[in-house]
Amino acid sequence: MKKSTLLIADDVLINREMLKDIFDGKYNILEACDGEEAIELLDKHKTEIVLVFLDLVMPKKDGLEVMRHMSLNSMIDKIPVIMITGEATVETDIKAYEFGAADIIYKPFEPAVVRRRAKNIIELYQHRIYIEKELEIKTKELYESKKKIEESNEFLINALSSVVEFRSLESGEHIQRVKAFTRILLNHLKALHSEYNLTDEKIELIVMASALHDIGKIAIPDNILEKPGKLTDEEYEEMKKHTIYGCQMLEKFKQEDNEFYRYCYNICRHHHERYDGRGYPDKLKGEEIPICAQVVSIVDVYDALVNKRVYKEALPIDEAYNMIHEGKCGIFSPIILECFDYAKEDLVKATNMYLQNQEG
Amino acid sequence: MIQELYNNINGNYEEALSRMQNDERIKKYLGFFLADTSYEDLKKAIEEKNCDMAFNAAHTLKGVCKNMAFTALSVVAEEITEELRAKNFEKAIEIFPKVTEKYNLVIEEIKKIM
Repeated sequence: MKKSTLLIADDVLINREMLKDIFDGKYNILEACDGEEAIELLDKHKTEIVLVFLDLVMPKKDGLEVMRHMSLNSMIDKIPVIMITGEATVETDIKAYEFGAADIIYKPFEPAVVRRRAKNIIELYQHRIYIEKELEIKTKELYESKKKIEESNEFLINALSSVVEFRSLESGEHIQRVKAFTRILLNHLKALHSEYNLTDEKIELIVMASALHDIGKIAIPDNILEKPGKLTDEEYEEMKKHTIYGCQMLEKFKQEDNEFYRYCYNICRHHHERYDGRGYPDKLKGEEIPICAQVVSIVDVYDALVNKRVYKEALPIDEAYNMIHEGKCGIFSPIILECFDYAKEDLVKATNMYLQNQEG
Repeated sequence: MIQELYNNINGNYEEALSRMQNDERIKKYLGFFLADTSYEDLKKAIEEKNCDMAFNAAHTLKGVCKNMAFTALSVVAEEITEELRAKNFEKAIEIFPKVTEKYNLVIEEIKKIM
């Protein structure tokens, strides 16, 4: 095994020699006669040195300056320093520990004690360095597996939501767009209105949940879902139930404490509510409507307007904005409308990107 | 021979032996002590009335004497160190001849066996 290295920094030859004899043969020994030499040797051999014996009073640079150098160059956490001092005075002891010394030994040296202390401290520091490295590796592994789980989650949710998309024929990339637009709007809402307590993590969960907003449509009969013409009143009433059906499905896998479950549920159930209380299914009014559902609601309407459907042509973005502001496609809160305006530039960019992809 | 030296200077031979393992090694350190300059540094600082330098030199001398188990010399070295730490320079000057006396005795005895 490679021998570890000790650095002995003391201006008095006798003291250095005594320490050398104490550790005779067990370690490589580097010697410094003053602080400057000690710093030089530290810089050059910092990966090999496992312990420093440091005299406080030395010419050129004293022991405290050596320790300051070690702190500034982040060596003090990796290389332990044992301070050598002539006597135990409280003030030098406190000062030494303040500057980061691991231990203090007093003259005269007791070989057995010095050896044992050095061994303990070296082991302690080596162990700590080892543990820190292990922790770093584990943290990285944990982060990577978390990322993998998130990716497979996202994959599953996308797969699930595209089942509905596939059946309703009309909107090829509707779900991807709703997710993108929801993220844009939520980011603006977060910046403008701290009262909703949105965080980046919450936004990502809501965006993911938004993919499932129409999951209940899977339970709507083909003849209604795929009908090209206008729905009868009866058919329309059935169609409206997709909000309830979606929740019934989700409730079978209820996770009451789960934030993501609550976003999914609220979005499924309430993305057709209206701010004036005249929406469905629960006729919630104003801020009774969960904010995640309010956002997905306006995004859903906007996307329907600017894209082609079996029963209508695509509208220009400005016209879609006008219609939404005039309340022709649902009633939204002033805050949501305000954010919708602030987000216009980002939404236009994203919309055009998706429209282009469709053509291409 | 080494034990006799420690007796003559009022040192602690057993302590020295336990620290330095054997007579041969002690002899090596006695040689180092001859070359050590801390007494000369102290003398110079006292003459120049430089209290800080005198303190550092006395402090070093004290540490070396403790490691060498030169009990009598380390006692006076400690006395002068404490006076200098407290900036009692006049008191230190008073003690200094005692330091010189003990120091000279040690040097004389070492030279005999070298």
